[in-house]
This record gives sequence, C-alpha cells and structure tokens, in this order.
Amino acid sequence: MRKSKFFKLLTGVALSTLLLAACSGEDSGKSTENGSGGEKDASDIEVVFIPKMTGNAFFESGNDGAQEMAEKIGFKVKYDGAPEGTVANQVQIINSAVNSGADAIAISSVTSDGLNQALQKALDAGIKVVTWDSDVDPKYRTAYINQGTPDILGAMLVDMAASQLENPDEAQQIAWFYSSPTVPDQNSWVDYANKYIKEKYPNWEVVTTQFGDGNEQKSLQVGESILDSYPDIDIIICPDSTALPAMAQAAQNKGLNKEDVIITGFASPNSMRQYIENDTIENHGLWDVKDQGALAVYIAYYLAQGNELKVGDTVDVPELGEVKVEPNSVQGYEYEAEDSGIIVLPERIVFTKDNTGDYDF
Amino acid sequence: MKSGMLKKIPKWNLILLLTLVGEIIIFGLINPRFWNLNVLLNSFNDFVGIAIIAFFVTFVVITGGIDISGGSIIGLTSVVTGMLAQFVGMNIWIAALLAVLVGGLCGLLNGVLIAYAKVQAMVITLGGMLLYSGIAIVLVGLSGTSTYEGISGFSQEFINLANGKILGIPHSVILFLVILVIAYILLHRTRYGRYVYLTGINQNAADYSGIDTRKIITSTYILSGLSAGIAGVILTSYLGSSRADFGAEYLMPILTAVVLGGTLITGGKGGVIGTALASIVVGFLKLGLQMGGVQTQYIGLATGLLLITSVAFLGVPGFKSKVKRFLTIKKDRGGNLHA
Amino acid sequence: MLHLEHIKEEVIGMSKITGITKYREFRTIIFLIIIFLLVGIVNSDFLALENILNSVKNSLLYIVLAVGLTFVLLTGEIDISVGGTLGLSAAVSGVIVRDGGSIFLAIIVAIVIGALIGLVNGIGVTKLKISSFIMTLGMLEIVRVVQVIYTDGKWIENLPANFKQISQINLLGMNLLGIIVILAVIILHLYLSNSRKGRYFSAIGDNEDGAILMGIPVIRYKIISFVICGISASLAGLIFASQVGFISTTAGLGIEMTVIAAAVLGGVSLSGGIGSVVGAAIGAIIMSSINSALVFLKVPAFWNATISGSLLIVIVVVDVLIFRRANKKAKKERLNARVLTLKEEV
Repeated sequence: MRKSKFFKLLTGVALSTLLLAACSGEDSGKSTENGSGGEKDASDIEVVFIPKMTGNAFFESGNDGAQEMAEKIGFKVKYDGAPEGTVANQVQIINSAVNSGADAIAISSVTSDGLNQALQKALDAGIKVVTWDSDVDPKYRTAYINQGTPDILGAMLVDMAASQLENPDEAQQIAWFYSSPTVPDQNSWVDYANKYIKEKYPNWEVVTTQFGDGNEQKSLQVGESILDSYPDIDIIICPDSTALPAMAQAAQNKGLNKEDVIITGFASPNSMRQYIENDTIENHGLWDVKDQGALAVYIAYYLAQGNELKVGDTVDVPELGEVKVEPNSVQGYEYEAEDSGIIVLPERIVFTKDNTGDYDF
Repeated sequence: MKSGMLKKIPKWNLILLLTLVGEIIIFGLINPRFWNLNVLLNSFNDFVGIAIIAFFVTFVVITGGIDISGGSIIGLTSVVTGMLAQFVGMNIWIAALLAVLVGGLCGLLNGVLIAYAKVQAMVITLGGMLLYSGIAIVLVGLSGTSTYEGISGFSQEFINLANGKILGIPHSVILFLVILVIAYILLHRTRYGRYVYLTGINQNAADYSGIDTRKIITSTYILSGLSAGIAGVILTSYLGSSRADFGAEYLMPILTAVVLGGTLITGGKGGVIGTALASIVVGFLKLGLQMGGVQTQYIGLATGLLLITSVAFLGVPGFKSKVKRFLTIKKDRGGNLHA
Repeated sequence: MLHLEHIKEEVIGMSKITGITKYREFRTIIFLIIIFLLVGIVNSDFLALENILNSVKNSLLYIVLAVGLTFVLLTGEIDISVGGTLGLSAAVSGVIVRDGGSIFLAIIVAIVIGALIGLVNGIGVTKLKISSFIMTLGMLEIVRVVQVIYTDGKWIENLPANFKQISQINLLGMNLLGIIVILAVIILHLYLSNSRKGRYFSAIGDNEDGAILMGIPVIRYKIISFVICGISASLAGLIFASQVGFISTTAGLGIEMTVIAAAVLGGVSLSGGIGSVVGAAIGAIIMSSINSALVFLKVPAFWNATISGSLLIVIVVVDVLIFRRANKKAKKERLNARVLTLKEEV
C-alpha cells in the first residue's frame, strides 16, 4: 500500500519533470550560441578559465591576469575550479561550462589524456578550447599558451642551481622535490632535467625524488625529512609552487641557509621574497603567470569571436605585443595540424635580491 | 519492528523527492538552460560512480560499520583494467571483469578484518584506503609507465560504455538505474537484506537468532568493494584513461550521499532509494549552482548547509528521542534481547 | 550521600579498568618503539636523539588535534570538522600577524573561532539532535568555504619572523612548544582519569542513560567536549601557521582521517567511554613518524601510501588479535560496574 503510493508519486514527479523540460526545451543538448564566424559583441563572450586546482597562489595569479585582460577588453571571464585537482573534477567543470553556454575554455590540465572525451564534447558544441600552463592532447585544442618547453624549463632549473656553485663539475648530491608523480608538466621538466644533468654535469648524483602533494604541511614535513635523512645534500630543486616555500621554511627552521644547501625551483615571487631577503635561498624562477593567464583568455576570446588561428600566424595582443603561433613540434608532439599550435611565452624570470621587489604576484 | 522502521523511510525519501523537484524548479528559474532534459541526464555521468558506491556503502553502514576505501579501490581497478588490457593484451571486457573482482577482493580483506578480527571499521578502511591506492601507484611505477601519463589507447567500444547513449538516454543513467534496482532487491526483497538490517540493529540478538553476522558483515564489504570496482571501470571508460589517482576525492561525496539519504550512521536504519535520491539531489545542486554562475569551490557551503538543515528538519523532538531510546537499549543490556 | 556511593562503586569498577587501560597505552608505546627500531635498522640516523626530539616537534599538530578529539570521542560522539577549524583559525590569525597585529590578539581570535565552531557543533548535536557525524561533516564543508571566501582564494604568506620563531624556540635542547604540549597532555590525562568531573566524559560515552540517571549534566558536558575539540583545533591552526609559515586555502584538508586513526591507534574507542589522551598523543606521534620514516627508509617515494596503509592495518589487527582477551575482560568489568551501580539504585 505504502509502496505503491510512493511509486505513484515518483512517476508523477518524473512525468512533470519531463513536461517541464519539454515545454522550455530549447536546444537539444548541443548548446551552440557562438555561430559560425561573424563578429560577436565582446560583452556577450564568456571564457571559462580553469586552473588545475583552486587555492593555489600560482593559479590565483593567473586568474588575476585573466580578469584584468577581460576588464580591459570588455568580455567575461569565469574562474572555475575545484580545490582538489583531479581529472574527474576538471571533466565535471568542463561539462558544466558546456551546459552553461560558455563560448570558450582556457584550461590548465591535470592530465595529458583524461580530458579528451570531455573536450571533444565541448568542441562538438562549438566551444573553442585553449590550454595554458599544462597541455592536453593537441588534437583537442587550438592553442597552447606555453611557459616554456620542457627543455627550456628543465635546463633552467638545473642552471639556476649550477650558477650558485663555484665549481659545478664537482660531485654534488641533489634531490628533486615537487608535487606528485602524476602531473604531466612538472614530471616532464624533471625528466628532461635529469637527461641534461647526465650530459652536462655527470658527477652530480640524484639521491632522491620526493613528493609533497601540493599540501604545505606535508611538504614541510617531507622537506625537513630530506634535510635530516640526507645530511650531506648539496642541492634541492623544487619545481612546485608549494614545495619550494615549504622547503625554504624547513631549511630556515633548521637554521640552514644558502651557504649550507642550495635550494631553488619554481614558485611565485611573493611567496619566496622573505627567503631571498634573509638569505635562505639565492634565487628561484618562474614566468609571468599573470601575463600567461591574460594571454590565454585573450586568445580564447579571439577565437570565440570567430577568428581562426593557423600555425605561423601572428596575433596582436593588447599590452603584450605580438605573439606567434608555433607548430606543435616545438613541444615534441607528433600531431601536426594547421589549426593546432603553440604560443610560447617570450621570457622566463629568475628572481634574485635585485629584482624580486619589482613583481607582485 | 521492521514495519516500524519502514514507515520512517518513505517519509524521508519524500522530503528528498520534494527537494529534488524544488531544485529543478529554482535552478531552472535562475538559468533556463537547466530545464533541459539532456543536460540533466548527462549530468549523471559525473556522479554515477559516487552513487553506485554509495548504494553499497549504505549496506555497510546499516550493519553499523563504515567503508571509506571506495575511492581508492576505484584507482586500483582503473590501473588493473588498463594494465591487463594494454600490457598483457587481454580482451578489454575480461580485463574489466577481473578488475571488478579485484575490487571485491579488497572488500573481502576489509570485511574479514572487521568482522572476524573485530577491528574498528573506520581504521581498517582508512588503512585500506592508503593501501589500495598505494598498490595502484606501485603497479604503475613497477610497470615502467610514467606515472603521469596514465594508460590510454582503449578501444572506442570500451569508451562508449560510459559515454554512449541508448534512445537518447546516457548509459550512465541506465547503469545507475540497473544497479539501483539490484541493490534495492537485495536489501529490501530478500532474506539476506533482512539479515543485514537485523545485524545492524542488534548484532548480539541477530547472532542468537542464528544469523551468521560475521558472514553478513563481510559480504557487505565485498559488495562495497565490487561496486567500487564497477565504478572504477566506468570512470576509466568515461575518461578513456587509467590512472592511479582516480576516485581520490570521492570519499566525502559518498558519505554525504549515504547520510543525506537517511541512513543512520549508528546502523540499523536506512535504504538505497534514499541514497539514490540524495546522490541526485547533490549532483543537481552542484550543476544548478554552477549554471547559476557560482564558482565550484564555493559549492561545498551549500552541500554542508543542506546536510545540516535537512537532518535538523527531520529531527522533530518527539520521534527523534524515541528512536534514540530504541537504539540505546541495544547498547547497555548487552545480553538481553529486544523484541 | 547516595551520589557518593555511586561514585565509589564506579571508582572500584573503574580502577580495574584503568589497570587495563594503562596496559593499552604501554602497548601503543611499544608499537612506537618497534617502528623506530625497524627504521633505525635501515637508517641509523633515524634513531639519533635529535631526530626523536624532532618527531615530537613534527607531531605537535597531530597531538593537539588528537587530544581535543579524544574529549569528543570519549562522550561517544565524533568530530570530523577539525581540519576546517584548523584551516580557518590558521588563516585568520595569519592575516592578523601578517598585517602587523599583535601575536597575542591572533591567539585570542583563533581560540574564539575554535570555541564558536565547537559551540555550534555541540548545540547541533545536543539540542537539534543531529548525529555528530552529520553535523560535523556539514560544518566541515561550510567552514572550508568560509575560509576560501575570507582569504579570497589567496595564500596567506610573509608571516613575520617572530611569529614563526615561536614554534622553533628550544629549551634545554627540546622544543618549547613541545614541552608545553606534553605537560598539557599529562595534566589533561590526570584530570580525565582521576578528577570527578573529568571522568564524566567517559561516563557519558560508556552509558549515556546511566550517566543521566547519575545526575551528570550530559548536554553541558557534550557541548564542552565539542568546544574543547574546537579550541584545540584552532590551537593546532596556530602551530600550523607558525611551523609552516604560509597558509593555503587547503590547509588541513584531509587531516581529520589521520587524527581519527591516531586516536584509535592510541586506544580511544569510537563508540565512547574508553581511551585516554596519553594514548591519543602517542598514536599521533606514530602517525606522524610514519611520514618521516618513509623518507628515511630511502624507498622510492611511490611506495609511501602502500607502506602507511599496511602499517596501520597491521598495528591495529595485531593489537586486537593478541590482546582480545584483555578486551573481553574489560567488557566484563564494565558490565559488572554497571550492575553494581544498578544494584545500589534498587
């Protein structure tokens, strides 16, 4: 008796829901607002800017740059991400962007191939896809705003450390410390860097590779353990924006500074300034992630307006100047197509006492 | 006794149903694109894994236990599927089947330690959570694949498992309903299901009346593990890739779905329909808020408030304390039975 | 007069139990020593005095959290929101010191935040009769988002050096904060196991109806336990801010599971009534040492999760299997103690 009443209710609700959907049903799942070509008013265009994860200074700064660019030109940028940087979360956010009728997506991906299906659906719906910071399979995006190919960045990491040594050809013990074994970008830099070390500084020995999961408390603990278990360590390289400040703090907690151990890597200048100023570290690097974010959303907006981007084209970006679209091969990809290319940021920055005060991100 | 409890369940489910309808109406008003059947059905893709596991964690919680290792089992089964299919060259469907069985094995380990060794469920499944995801990472590491690339190259057929549609209805909706029906029948229509409830209400009493509660408890963990295996295969198909870290963030959503669905954490009461409705309510809540322009990182606020207010709402003083009395009697009179 | 009789009976019954509980803490300490020895065999640096003292310093965070959680667990409830409280108080106090405010003010504000959150939890559980699992789960999500909104998604960094120094000061070679925490744990342990009001907590968890009959103000003490847990979580947030030096929006994410495991390892029962803060503190040291031990073992880092998980399972299973008889005895004692009190009633 009770059961049948319940099921009747369920059917009733299901039917009324279907009715609602049918009545107001507009598009049948393929949300195509941006038509084929033709200019759209800037204020109608929405770009969804997706970081690997939220709550991370690096990505927040990228968003700052993106929002500034959007304000200047007059289009909308929605910052959407989840605190946990997982594939399933990013897929869900891409899906929701498709559902909400966004015109373009600019995403820094946590995986090299897990987003393929979701991006295909987005492309099918007419949405333009641009990547930044961390790329996906080039088939699924029109442009990748690249901060530097693995060889540039990998070599940069090693060179920043080597520049602090009097005699870099001597035997050195070095450790790698970053977020996790599963993120594409950091691992590709480390892989290249290891090859570079073998060639250029064959006497260097990599004694350990440790992970902090992008969690600052864990990174602090692991950092301290590295210093404790390898008391003769010479160099610790941290290409991760959480691992580097945690490592520096760990060294400071133990009363060590740049004379005792060389610590360097990639992180935002704001997070590392105090360590440079109190001599815990000498230098560290990054690139202007604000510019990167701004560039990414501008290109996305440019494409959403209906423009096409081919390899070899140049685009004039307000405030940032001219940028050129390179072929995919510069990143080592095999996939080549006219409408899929890479825009490389013109420069990376090495921060030291002299210039860290010039930046705010 | 049983009929006294069943009376409570539909009332809660009704509230969930009303919440669901309310959501659809409100979110549609905020953003009319929400009133699109395709959008709603497609959203199932993103929470079907959570829902499937939640169905069987409901079983576990009814017996008075808890299982937090589901998310990690997803990663493990994903890696096993990928490795068997791509490296060992097995047929993808057989690989998937074996992977699901691996999930069941994990559940077996959990269950045996909890039911026979009588160790606290929270700790065992916590250890299990670390262990199973650890094994997944080790498998990838030992196989020589770069851990960050994931295993891909699955056949389009397999990818269609989670991405395809029949008559316009996404496969994930069908999978959701099929597994819901299986869980419902198991729990509410078989003697086994009744034993699950009895074990949860008062394990000693159930033992005395001849039920092998240890087997029942172990079986719930096996089911939970198997469901996590299925979810892992579905997720692998959905994303077209095998990675060890799949499912890591599912812990809280699974528990939220179970608890919001009306299943008492102390055991003895609950049902899968409630869990199913709750997972849809939460899934649509997320979708609706996103489409309303709210950033994803703020949605936790709504979920948390929903959880607290809905339970408080049902906490009408009279009936709540009656239930409390009912449950505490089980606690102190160790040996006595309650009719 | 009758009240005193009851409590005397409880004391007789309880002293036998405390006998066995001491047993449990010894077992936990033995596990800790075994872990240290095993790792020490592989890498003797782990056994260096400096490293052992370091372990205490590193586990301060977990110890403070586990001790606060024990109060709640003893009363038979649970608090999953500790990670969120930690993050929020760390963020707020971080902002205060970063912008030049006094450290004293930051500490007070943090404590107030923790107490408030604990109060909300307590009221929700006792007055609104919401299950503590659900209440604290919901609060966790809410507090997390509040933290994100408060910090606008940004990191709190560049904390002043004197604030960060607090966690590094050493007294006679040992970390000052560590000494304070250990003293506090001992004092709290004595309070919980020997003072009359202190034992109300475990009395409530052991048999809530019995406690009501005995005249213990159950609701008040449950709320107090949540407030204490909230305050310890916020103190942990302060320690976090001082030790780590920068606070992200995910500070404390996922820490609740580790803290619960620490308490359980230390012998605190999830169903209430049994356990001590000393045990929880030792459990916390174990959980934190596992993390550093893995680096010392010099195994490739991808083995970490597997080893942690297996270790956790092995420790708990071995403990239960070998000492199940002791547990059965404890159960009988509790039953007898209750029967004695009931007889007095009649």
